[in-house]
Amino acid sequence: MRVIGARIWVALGLLVGTAAAVAAQDPEAPKGIELAAQYQTRTQPLLAVRPLGAPVDLVGTAQTIQEILTRDLDYSDRFRIFETPSSLASGPIDYAAWNSARVVYVVDGSVEPSGDGGFSLRVTVHDIPYAEAKPTRTYALPSSDDPDFRMAVHAVSDEIVRDITGEPGAAATRIVFVRQNRGSNDLMIVDSDGENLRRLTGTEGLIYSPAWAPDGSRIAYTLQGEGTSQLFERDMRTGRIRTLPAPRSQLIMTPEYSRDGSKLAFAASINDQVELFEADVATGRFQQITRGPAYSFSPSYSPDGTRIAFNSNRLGNPHIYVMPSGGGGATLITPFVSGQRGYYTSPQWAPSGTQITFHGHWNSRGTYHVFVADANRPLSQIRQLTTEGNNEDPSWAPDGRHIVYTASGGGRNGLYVVDVQSGRVRQLAQGAGLRMADWSPTLVRTSGLSSGQ
Amino acid sequence: MLRRAVLFSMLVATAAACSRNEPPQEPIPPTLPDTAGEGARRAAEQARQDSIRRAEEERRAAEAATARARSILEEMVFFDYDDSNLRPDAQEALARKVAVLRANPNVTLRITGHADERGSIEYNLALGLRRANSVRDYLTGFGISASRFTTETMGEDRPLDPASNETAWARNRRAEFTITGGGERLVAPGM
Repeated sequence: MRVIGARIWVALGLLVGTAAAVAAQDPEAPKGIELAAQYQTRTQPLLAVRPLGAPVDLVGTAQTIQEILTRDLDYSDRFRIFETPSSLASGPIDYAAWNSARVVYVVDGSVEPSGDGGFSLRVTVHDIPYAEAKPTRTYALPSSDDPDFRMAVHAVSDEIVRDITGEPGAAATRIVFVRQNRGSNDLMIVDSDGENLRRLTGTEGLIYSPAWAPDGSRIAYTLQGEGTSQLFERDMRTGRIRTLPAPRSQLIMTPEYSRDGSKLAFAASINDQVELFEADVATGRFQQITRGPAYSFSPSYSPDGTRIAFNSNRLGNPHIYVMPSGGGGATLITPFVSGQRGYYTSPQWAPSGTQITFHGHWNSRGTYHVFVADANRPLSQIRQLTTEGNNEDPSWAPDGRHIVYTASGGGRNGLYVVDVQSGRVRQLAQGAGLRMADWSPTLVRTSGLSSGQ
Repeated sequence: MLRRAVLFSMLVATAAACSRNEPPQEPIPPTLPDTAGEGARRAAEQARQDSIRRAEEERRAAEAATARARSILEEMVFFDYDDSNLRPDAQEALARKVAVLRANPNVTLRITGHADERGSIEYNLALGLRRANSVRDYLTGFGISASRFTTETMGEDRPLDPASNETAWARNRRAEFTITGGGERLVAPGM
């Protein structure tokens, strides 16, 4: 009867407590910043994944699936994982016994060969307090040595989360990022659970700002070479790379697609300034949508495509602004205090549309932290999500509650994921110089056949 | 006896190999019986040796001038934090470059702006470009044609010193200069 991860939760709680105390003592901290990482472990229901039933030759596969599902459900941060005691590991679901252990959900299932080299996975979620089983679903999975196997299991976990909470998880996703490699940059990719870390491409130049197309089929990025700057798009299925239309410029950076995929915004230097451009993806035509005198970069579309959050140093230091898509009057989002060198950058609009994440600090003495602001209430209180070391380049998961970012210093180096709601943090990939992460949309969806009870 | 001769010739060969980088020296002519033309011949030989030495000195002077001009052109300039304005020390270094650029009208330069690691990667790319352009604008202000310069930015990703402290950051906030044309033979400015 052990709760997995209890030590991590306690350790994080202590860290946050200390940092909160420090922040509270700093008399110069502006009133508009709230250290918002609250750990609400008690509100999360206990969930157990039972060992899956399987014929002898599929026992290993069944165990792998159970491990993937358990970790995904843990990383969804909607449950606390309860390790199934041997007394409850098999046989009919004993609701009374599970209930006395305070477990709320039990995921039960079995694996059977399906004849085509793959197999079918039957999953039943039991709601313990109500002593009832939700409809059993059957999912077709490829064989365990298929490169799509893990992603197919992640899609099943996302469906389990949807079955229980009404909202899908974000396990069937990947994160692209850039790895510094002796003066050049590699384009890297990793699954949402930290598996399958690999290099997509590397060159002699500096690769920056990878950004997923909203259907997950392509990635846009820039390359800063010897005297040139280019905008590329990589097809994720074929690996083919093509050049995207852009103005002739010494510096092209921060491409980002609109949520419907019809537009691509990016920044390019022109006449000694850095301005935003918006390209029509179908025709390749682009137009300039900001005009100096300052840098404007890091555009990010609102989910409905009507607005763009971006970064500008028109007040001296970088701040986050929102303007109409296509250009127009910009509204300052981040708190501006005259005389303080607040510095806020790298905005990304949340899938929900209500929040914008970014990183920065309120005073030049400080380290960088990840923040969340209300997209619809400019200059209102912003929430600080990180507390230790430097934390930069945040990007939303499609579930709208997890953010991946780069951490350095404070004993951490690599990509981390924070759950905006609980404040829980986990490491995604370890290493110095892992940066500019962009979280993919959901890459695989599975509905599963409902076969009744 | 034979072995000693072989050893000796090996030593000579080694010495010859070692001295390959030194200026060529004429073999001393064998001593001949004293005749009437001996004095004239010695004088002619002396003149020949002197002209070789002068040519050698000129070559060295030209090489030194090229090296000196090159080092002036390639000398980096440094910036204050989050700033693309040129400090007095940077302005002095650029004034020295102006003299070299005027004396060598075919020389073209690539100016690469860099930033320290603080601040966002994107902002630092923009800052690096602004630094490179600020340097270019200063040089063109002295009447040097803008067509002789290209500017680019490497942001924070090509540090001189990868450490995370004030000393390293001060060295990393810089503009670098690469001679992209006309740099084979340079004239040092009048001194």
